[in-house]
Amino acid sequence: MSDLSEKDIEIFIEAIGGYFKQITKEAASVGVAYLAKNAFPMNDYTGMIKVSADYEGTLYFSAPSAMLRHLLTVMKEPNQSDENLLDAVGEIANTISGNARKYFGENMVISIPEKIAHLPENLDHQARPYAYVIIIKWKHYSASLIVDISRIR
Amino acid sequence: MKLMIVDDSNIIRSRISRIMADPKLPLIEIIGTAANGTDAFALFTQERPELVTMDLTMPEMDGVECTTLLVEFNPDVKILIVSALSDKATAIEALKNGASGFLYKPFTDEELVNALLELIKE
Repeated sequence: MSDLSEKDIEIFIEAIGGYFKQITKEAASVGVAYLAKNAFPMNDYTGMIKVSADYEGTLYFSAPSAMLRHLLTVMKEPNQSDENLLDAVGEIANTISGNARKYFGENMVISIPEKIAHLPENLDHQARPYAYVIIIKWKHYSASLIVDISRIR
Repeated sequence: MKLMIVDDSNIIRSRISRIMADPKLPLIEIIGTAANGTDAFALFTQERPELVTMDLTMPEMDGVECTTLLVEFNPDVKILIVSALSDKATAIEALKNGASGFLYKPFTDEELVNALLELIKE
């Protein structure tokens, strides 16, 4: 098992920045990644993608409901039900992990998204003692991308 | 031209439907949407669309497997893969299995329209 490198983490930072720029036509401010052991910055809705094969762990994208409603408004989506807010975090997590495969390759197998409301701030079955946390600020909202992934081969 | 939209995300199915329903676009009739490959194949055999947008990562039956089935059923169908999976191997596998084009997520409205119009022209 080995840690992801700084360059590896940069891939996720670029992917989330690229997502907001492409969808909203407005750049998000994506912070430098920091390491956390617990008390992760979870928001109202969280999308999770499990990775396997040469990697293990989970990617989390967590956002407040107001930010997701604003994003859906920008996307001209009138249905802003809880179901669609959950769908949005799942789709964003899926897009970030899928885009990251351009760099990591097909041996980072990704799951279909799991979507959860009000995930606790401590993670179950953490793959790494410390996970990377990346804070994304868009308009006046703040979301988080948590990279709890290790390379195992 | 009949279009079927396949994606496990509600908001992506809804977004593609909205973009393609623009009256300024050439006549494209959306015959339905499906959230997985199994439902997509059932809808496909019933409605016989000529054009399909296909996600890859889906529950029950994934997009590559579904593409293979659709092309077996109708070799003339044009399938645009719309997926975030950005590695070369995935794109090659999808094209080998009968897909006609590939559009990476996240996409803009213009990119989707252009990708589908390219397929229609072929």
